[in-house]
Order: sequence, then C-alpha cells, then structure tokens
Amino acid sequence: MSPLSFAQWIQSTGFFTDLRGSAYVYPIILTIHLMGIALFGGMILLVDVRLLGLGMRRYSVSDLVNQLRPLKWIGFIVMIICGLLMAGCKAEEYYYNTFFWTKMSLLALVGVHALVFHRGVYSNTAALDAALTMPGQAKLAAALSLLLWTGLVIAGRGIGYIEPPLDKIHAHLFANPGSLPRVL
Amino acid sequence: MLIQSSNPLNGSALIFPALECIHIVGFALSIGTIAILDFRLLGLGLKRQSVAELAKDLAPWTLAGLAIMLLSGPAMFSSDPDMYYLNISFQIKMVLLLLAIVFNYTIHRRVTLKGALPQQSKLVACVSLALWMGVMAGGLFIGFVGDAIPR
Repeated sequence: MSPLSFAQWIQSTGFFTDLRGSAYVYPIILTIHLMGIALFGGMILLVDVRLLGLGMRRYSVSDLVNQLRPLKWIGFIVMIICGLLMAGCKAEEYYYNTFFWTKMSLLALVGVHALVFHRGVYSNTAALDAALTMPGQAKLAAALSLLLWTGLVIAGRGIGYIEPPLDKIHAHLFANPGSLPRVL
Repeated sequence: MLIQSSNPLNGSALIFPALECIHIVGFALSIGTIAILDFRLLGLGLKRQSVAELAKDLAPWTLAGLAIMLLSGPAMFSSDPDMYYLNISFQIKMVLLLLAIVFNYTIHRRVTLKGALPQQSKLVACVSLALWMGVMAGGLFIGFVGDAIPR
C-alpha cells in the first residue's frame, strides 16, 4: 500500500468521515492540541532557558528535568493524539501539503535530538548541576530544542494555510495516470 | 475600515501567519507557565519548591508571554476589525481574557504567594485552568464561526 492510498483509505473510514463532517469536533480537537502546546511548550522553554543560563537559575537542572517529566509526557501524548486525529481527517489533503511534511520531518529531528542528547544532557543532569559552567553540549541541546520547537509551531500553523485542490489533482491523475501534478 | 485599508499589516500575505506564530509562542510561555503553577497547586510537577517560590520565579516569564500575546493579538485584530468585532467567539474570548487576567493578578496571585487551604488552592487552580482554556478555545473558534457554526 502506497502512502497515498493509505492516506485515502484512512480518511475514508467511517470514524474519520464523521469527524470531518462535524462542525464542532475538529476545532475542539485543534483547541486541545493547542492546550498541549501551551503546557508542553511552556515546559520546554523553561528547561531550555535554564540550560542556557537565562532564567530559572534557582532550580537545579535535575529538579526541572526530572520533576517536569511526567507533565511533559502528558502534554506530549495529548498533542500527538490530537495531531493524529486531525491528520486522519484530512490525510489525503495533507499528503500534498508541504508544511505537513516539513512538520513531520521536524518531528523526526526532535526524535534524533532526544537520542543524541539523552545520554549527555537529559539523563546526565546531576553532572550538569555539579559542573562549574554549563557544558557546551547542554547549551547546544537547548538552542537546538528552541529552534526545533519554534520551527514546529511555524510548520504546524502553515499546514492550515495550504489547501491542495484535491479535485484538480484527481482530474489530473485521471487524465495522466501515474504522473503527479506539481502542487505549490 | 480606515485602519484596515491603510494598515501595513495587510500589505503582505506573510505578516498575519507570522503574527499567529508569535501569538502561539506567547501563549505557550504565559499560559504554559500559569498551567505549571496550577498543576503545582494541584500537587503535580515542581514539588520540591514551595508554591510561593515557584510563583515568584515564573512571574517574569508569564508577564513576558502576556506581553507577546497582547502585542501580537491587537495587531491581528487590526487587520480586520469589523470581522473580529462581530465575531461571537472573539467577543466571548475577550470577556474570558479580561476575567483570566484579572483573576491571575488578584485571587490567583494571592493564593500562590500567600497560601490558602488545600481545597481553596485546588479550586483556584481549576478556575485558572478553565479560564485560560476558555480563552484558547475562544481564540481558535474565531476562525470557525460563520463557516459551519452560525454567528
């Protein structure tokens, strides 16, 4: 199954058809998605400014990272579930949406960021607190995290600004099977 | 109409989405830090520090976020004031925003800095979370009112 036919199938399921058809459900999911962003984004910002030495300096890095971890997970899971629900509603449209793929790539980079800095920074907070100055690796992790999350907000908002003309795309595909039209 | 036609914000298609992104970062900072404090009142999160300490340390970040929101918000409003003025979701949002800000700097501030009975603290945290969630929902629904949802 190609990604495109998967996208077409998932949005045609009864569940997502109903979701798309409701005037209230989609904005409500989007609102909860944004609440996840406020909660999760706020905590990311606090940890990052602490690592960069710009604020929250009365707190040890260990305190911030370890104590905020459960709340961060709650925010993250809420965001992901709402994100999946919204993506399922308009899966085929998003398949042609550049900002959607930008956002997915940035999310993959967030995963890479976590893998790369996990050992040296996020599970090494006791050493960071013991160090006389904040190691460069921790500052780099914080700066990259701020960049990635700002990029995610921008790409996420951008998704809503593109409405790929599905009927034109379908007409093109019908007339020229196998050749994808240039969108954007 | 006068503001609208001469407003440089309407000169570029990129300015409004940029303002929206700034607005989102602003509320992540302000509502995010308020929510961290509310969760602390509910017994979750940064428990090693006292509520008062946390409130003092978060206050400048909350204020910075509010400033970002209150600069980017009115700028977005000025791009199409007639639409916003008549939009029921916008009207509800403005009432909730006023309530949320007043609540935050009166009752919420008093309870976090001076302390209160556990039940009172929890109630205040829930009211605060509910008000800010209402503000967010109100803002988001602006774009959906009139489309499928009647004005």
